[in-house]
Amino acid sequence: MFIADIRKDFYEVVANQRVVLLVAPDIDALCACKILQALFHCDQIQYTLVPVTGWQELGTAFLEHKEQFRYFVLINCGANVDLLEMLQPDDDSIFFICDTHRPVDVVNVYNDTQIKLLIKQDDDLSVPSYDDIFRDEDEEGEDSGNESDEGSEPSGKRRRFDEGAVERRIERQRAKREWEARRREILFDYEQYEYHGTSAAMMFFELAWVLTKDTKDMLWWAIIGLTDQWVHDKITNMKYVTDIATMQRHVSRHNHRNEDEENSLSIDCMRISFEYDLRLTLYQHWSLYESIYNSCYTSCSFKLWTLNGQKKLQEFLADMGLPLKQVRQKFNSMDMSIKENLRDVIEESSNKYGMKDIRIQTFGVHFGFKNRFLASDMVHATAALLESAEKDDSETDNFIKALDALSRCAKETKFTLQRLNLLTFPLKMSSFFFLLFSLCRSNIDRLHSGIALAKKKLIAIQQTVASCICTNLILSQGPFLYCYLMEGTPDVKLFSKPMALTLLCKYLLKAFVHSTRNKRCKLLPLVMAAPKDVEKGTVIVVGIPPESETSDKKNFFGRAFEKAAESTSSRTLHDHFDTSIIELKTEDRSKFLDALITLLS
Amino acid sequence: MNRHQDTEDQISPTKRSHHKDQEDGLRQVLQEMEALYEQNQSDVNEAKSEGRAKLIPSIKLRHCCLLRNQRCVTAYLYDRLLRIRALRWEYGSVLPANVRFHMCAEELQWFSQYKKSLASFMRSLGGNEGLDITQDMKPPKSLYIEVRCLKDHGEFEIDDGTVILLKKNSQHFLPRWKCEQLIRQGVLEHVVS
Repeated sequence: MFIADIRKDFYEVVANQRVVLLVAPDIDALCACKILQALFHCDQIQYTLVPVTGWQELGTAFLEHKEQFRYFVLINCGANVDLLEMLQPDDDSIFFICDTHRPVDVVNVYNDTQIKLLIKQDDDLSVPSYDDIFRDEDEEGEDSGNESDEGSEPSGKRRRFDEGAVERRIERQRAKREWEARRREILFDYEQYEYHGTSAAMMFFELAWVLTKDTKDMLWWAIIGLTDQWVHDKITNMKYVTDIATMQRHVSRHNHRNEDEENSLSIDCMRISFEYDLRLTLYQHWSLYESIYNSCYTSCSFKLWTLNGQKKLQEFLADMGLPLKQVRQKFNSMDMSIKENLRDVIEESSNKYGMKDIRIQTFGVHFGFKNRFLASDMVHATAALLESAEKDDSETDNFIKALDALSRCAKETKFTLQRLNLLTFPLKMSSFFFLLFSLCRSNIDRLHSGIALAKKKLIAIQQTVASCICTNLILSQGPFLYCYLMEGTPDVKLFSKPMALTLLCKYLLKAFVHSTRNKRCKLLPLVMAAPKDVEKGTVIVVGIPPESETSDKKNFFGRAFEKAAESTSSRTLHDHFDTSIIELKTEDRSKFLDALITLLS
Repeated sequence: MNRHQDTEDQISPTKRSHHKDQEDGLRQVLQEMEALYEQNQSDVNEAKSEGRAKLIPSIKLRHCCLLRNQRCVTAYLYDRLLRIRALRWEYGSVLPANVRFHMCAEELQWFSQYKKSLASFMRSLGGNEGLDITQDMKPPKSLYIEVRCLKDHGEFEIDDGTVILLKKNSQHFLPRWKCEQLIRQGVLEHVVS
């Protein structure tokens, strides 16, 4: 059921209890988790945080903790399946689900006792009404009752009654069949498309606001959660703009302090400001040229994989009067005279080249003398950390690193170093130094390493897109476009992770739409496959909706993949929380594709 | 006399990995002391019986060596004792096996007696229940702290009976006093955010 008052029905319920937080691996969930952790620290609510990467891990974590904990909070997972059937919990386990995945499963909506949804009831849901889907079964009882009564009646009357009863029964059965057919239709329409709702981080920030325990850190995390939804193309433009306006109100409320000569805030305090900034990814931490080259929007508009496109880029820079030497330098070292009006100059020139939306509404943070970050910078950095393909790190290690990168303060190094003083535990030299090194790094350093990883990822995406377009790797299969990344492709390890592959998919589709002349192909969705695990022989398959200005970002590939897998009995693993991302055995690839084509044509 | 080197080695900082060397060094010192004492004894007898006053300076010298050796050895043993006492404050009442390996039987006995007297002292403070003064050596900032699990430790029970499963990379928000032990052992890591 939907929670009406988040403070009374959620926070006060868990106030004196122990909770388990099960958190999905995306940035929005991480931000929501940090906000909730900060609130729990305030009120000393004991919790255990377990990162879960898929349905199987969710099940395992639940089994491990169900003896000791009664309350479970699921962040960005669990709303779109019948949770009670999947986990088979005891009657006293209570689940609080804050999830952006829609559609919310109808059982979760209508269960009154164990499932509480931390979702606003009007959040773009269109849930079918109760009577359309669930039906009470006591109409059957009337029939049999009537029949047993009729045994004592005289035979003539009985025959008539019998006929009446039989007719009524037939009528009821017909109505029931009709009702069931309609129910199937309604459910099919409801569950056909997968999309996303309001950011979980924003929900928890609202909770903090209602409790008047919100801080600037929490506000910043909520902004990052919202920006993550925009960067990874989960919400429509309209929704993004509306949510930004909501955040803007909070930002102005927090900034409403009389700052004058005497009462100015310390430079180390966090300042969040609204920016109408350029859509160039990471441009303040990179050189302007690299950023333009590797950002999806500019690269697709100029078609930078062609020679023509690169010439156009040079013209564009010349048009703005920016010397190449300046533009290739690190942004911080560019001349101040150039940096002053950069945004307006770029906007003017991009209008001439057909890029009307080079600027986007977003927020930036500023603390200390050196640290300025835009929300999208943080999203890219944390996403790169979360999915870094280092051999030694498990997924939970990456989760922890990404979680740390979101905090601002330096780690407490002295306290833990004292503990290392006791040399009774024979630490191997390498692990000792590693431990020491990672302790001494502050969280800001971790963020910077995330930015470096993000740059590599963006360059890899750009190069892969260029090679795919130039070698015509994207094939039209009829109802959709299809692209397969071969094993030997450079950086293919990066693309074995779902978020990175989805980003690549999005850029590729955009680039394809800009480069093809076939009008029909421009409206097709894209399915992409990349090798996931060479030893096990699996590939990861992602499907995204067609690219358009007014797209409502609704994805039907979830159901399509399920049906195609069933019909061909391919060995698939639908483990990811986004149903449009699956794992498949390499051998079954072709028959799966054929089934998908027949299904969707 | 030319074996003062041994005592010099003793006073240099003892490293646990040179445990065997320490034991040998100590034994050598004691042997040296015995040898010196024997020599002194025979010289004293000689001096007494034959009245040879020339032996007296050498006797005095040996006696000084003996006294010095004694001081060095007792300083070493006392230093060990102080460290063992500090172990009680660091590790709590149960010492890990590799630490106990380095201690001799008498030291272990001393440790258990120290434990007992500390425990009875703590019981005498703070009313009926006593007060555990080995907790919170630095003033704590909050009742609960956030900790991250660095290795799989299995189940861990806290005061009101609930059991927490400590799995690698899970984070927990637990009462400070329960976590201190595990932080010292390196199973948990305090997370500041």
